[in-house]
Amino acid sequence: MSAVVVNNLSYCYQKGGKHILKDLNFTVEQGQIVAVLGLSGSGKSTLCLCLGGIIPHYFGGEMTGQVLINGQDTAKCKIARLALEVGIVFQDADTQLFSPIVEDEIAFAPENLCLPPEQIRYRVDAVIDMVGINHLRYENTNNLSGGQKHLVAMASVLTLDPSILVLDEVLAQLDAAVKENVIEILLELCRQGKTIIIVEHDLEAVTIADRVLLLEDGMLVNDGPASILQDKELLARHKLLI
Amino acid sequence: MIFMKMVQVGFSYPGQKKPLLNDINFSIHKEGITALTGPNGVGKTTLSKLMVGILAPSTGHITLKGQNMSSMALAQIGRLVGYVFQNPEKQLFCPTVSEEIGFGLQNLELPEHEVQRLVKENLAYFELEHLAQNFPLQLSEGEKRRLAIAAVLVLEPELLVLDEPTTGLDAYRKHLLGECLLKLVASKRGVFMISHDSNFIDRYASRILILENGRLKENGC
Ligand SMILES: Nc1ncnc2c1ncn2[C@@H]1O[C@H](COP(=O)(O)OP(=O)(O)O)[C@@H](O)[C@H]1O
Ligand SMILES: Nc1ncnc2c1ncn2[C@@H]1O[C@H](COP(=O)(O)OP(=O)(O)O)[C@@H](O)[C@H]1O
Ligand SMILES: [Mg+2]
Ligand SMILES: [Mg+2]
Repeated sequence: MSAVVVNNLSYCYQKGGKHILKDLNFTVEQGQIVAVLGLSGSGKSTLCLCLGGIIPHYFGGEMTGQVLINGQDTAKCKIARLALEVGIVFQDADTQLFSPIVEDEIAFAPENLCLPPEQIRYRVDAVIDMVGINHLRYENTNNLSGGQKHLVAMASVLTLDPSILVLDEVLAQLDAAVKENVIEILLELCRQGKTIIIVEHDLEAVTIADRVLLLEDGMLVNDGPASILQDKELLARHKLLI
Repeated sequence: MIFMKMVQVGFSYPGQKKPLLNDINFSIHKEGITALTGPNGVGKTTLSKLMVGILAPSTGHITLKGQNMSSMALAQIGRLVGYVFQNPEKQLFCPTVSEEIGFGLQNLELPEHEVQRLVKENLAYFELEHLAQNFPLQLSEGEKRRLAIAAVLVLEPELLVLDEPTTGLDAYRKHLLGECLLKLVASKRGVFMISHDSNFIDRYASRILILENGRLKENGC
C-alpha cells in the first residue's frame, strides 16, 4: 500500500472561488523522501493541509478528489486518527504551539492518547534528545526564537511517531548547524521506513530527496527524480533558480 | 555620519540569570547592507528590537542621529527606522492588502492620489496585484512577508531593519527583495538584516556581524 495517494485533488478556500489546487495526482511510496518545490503562493502549504486532513475537516471551501493516507480516505477519517499517521510541522510555528512550557507542549499529544506516564516520559525524553532541545525544555514557548519554535513543533509532532512526516519550510529559519542536525534526523527516520515530504525553497537542503514535485499555480507541473535539481534550465524556467 | 550607535549595551529579559546580550558596541552608517547572523536563540531578534525601541537596553545606551533613544517616542523612532518582524503576521492588521500598504502613507499626510500611486507601484513590484483586495491574514506565508516588507518599505525609512526577511520567499522573490534593498542603499538609506540565508548574505551584504554568546563580532568582508 502506498503511503500517500492523491487522486484528482482540487481545492478552493471559498466556494466558487479561485482554485488553489488544480487536479493533482501523485503517489508517494513508504520510505521515500519527496521534496515539494514551487513559488510562494503556488499552493504548497494548502497541499500540506490536505495531507493532514485539516482540509476538508477544519476549512470550509470546496475540496474535490481524494487523499488516501496509508489507504484511508482523509475526508472520511477522524483528524485525531490521521494525526497518528501524518505529522505536520507548519510553516508558521506560532499557529502550532499552544502550551506555555516547551516540555508540556511536547508531552501534550502522547498525554492526549492516554499513554502510560512512563511511556510518555520515555517518548518525550527521546524526542527532546533527538531534536537537541534539552536546553529549551522548561522555556516558555511564547518567548522562543523563530527557529527554536520550529524545533519544538517538530519534537511535538515526532512524539506521536507518525509514519509520514511533512515539513513546511521549516529549515529556512534554522542556523547552519541545527539545519544539518535536522537533515540527519530526517535521513535516520527515512532509514527507519518513515515517509518524508519536505517543502523548501533552498535547493541545497532538498538534495536528500528521492523525488521532486513541482507546483506552479496550483498545478503539478513536474514529478520526477531528484536529478531535476541539477537541471538548471528547468529550474530557471520555473523561476526556482535565478 | 553615524546614524545609530550602541554603547556598551547589555540586555536580559526579566528573570534571566545570565544576560542575553553583553557589552554590545557598534555603529550603523546609512550605507550598504549590514547582515547579522548567529545561532538560533542567541539574541538576534532581541538586538533588533532594541534597535527600533520596542525593547530598552538593561545597561548602556543607544543613540539615533546623536540623540539618546530612551528620550525618543516610538513614533519618532518609527519615522526614522522601519522594522519588519520575523513573523510578518505580527504587523498585519488591515482588512485588505492595498490598505495595508497605504496605511502608513495615509499617516504621512500625503495627498490621496500620491498614496494610491505608491500603493499601486508597490503592489506591482512585490507581485501582490492579484491579491490587492484579499484579507492579509489569509495569504500564504511568502505573500504575507512580501506584504509586510512592502508596507514598511513604502514609507522610505532612513534605516530599514529586517528580521529574517527571506524566510518563506522563493528564489525569484528573494532576488526581487535583494534588488529592492540595493535600490534603497543607492538612495542613501541603510539596511540592517538578520539572516541565516548564507547565499543571500553573500550576494547582498557589504558588512557581516556575528552574534555569539551574547557578544558581537565583526567579520571583515
Ligand atoms: N485561508 C485562506 N483563505 C483564502 N486564501 C488562502 C488562504 N490561505 C492561502 N490562500 C491563498 O492560496 C494560495 C496558495 O497559498 P499557499 O498554499 O499558502 O501557498 P505556498 O505555501 O505555496 O506559498 C495563495 O495565493 C494564498 O493567497
Ligand atoms: N519575551 C521574552 N522573555 C524571556 N525570554 C525571551 C523573550 N524573548 C526571547 N527570549 C529568549 O531570548 C533568547 C533569544 O531570543 P531571540 O532574540 O529571539 O533569538 P534569535 O533571534 O537569535 O534566534 C531565546 O533563548 C529566547 O527564549
Ligand atoms: Mg507555504
Ligand atoms: Mg530571531
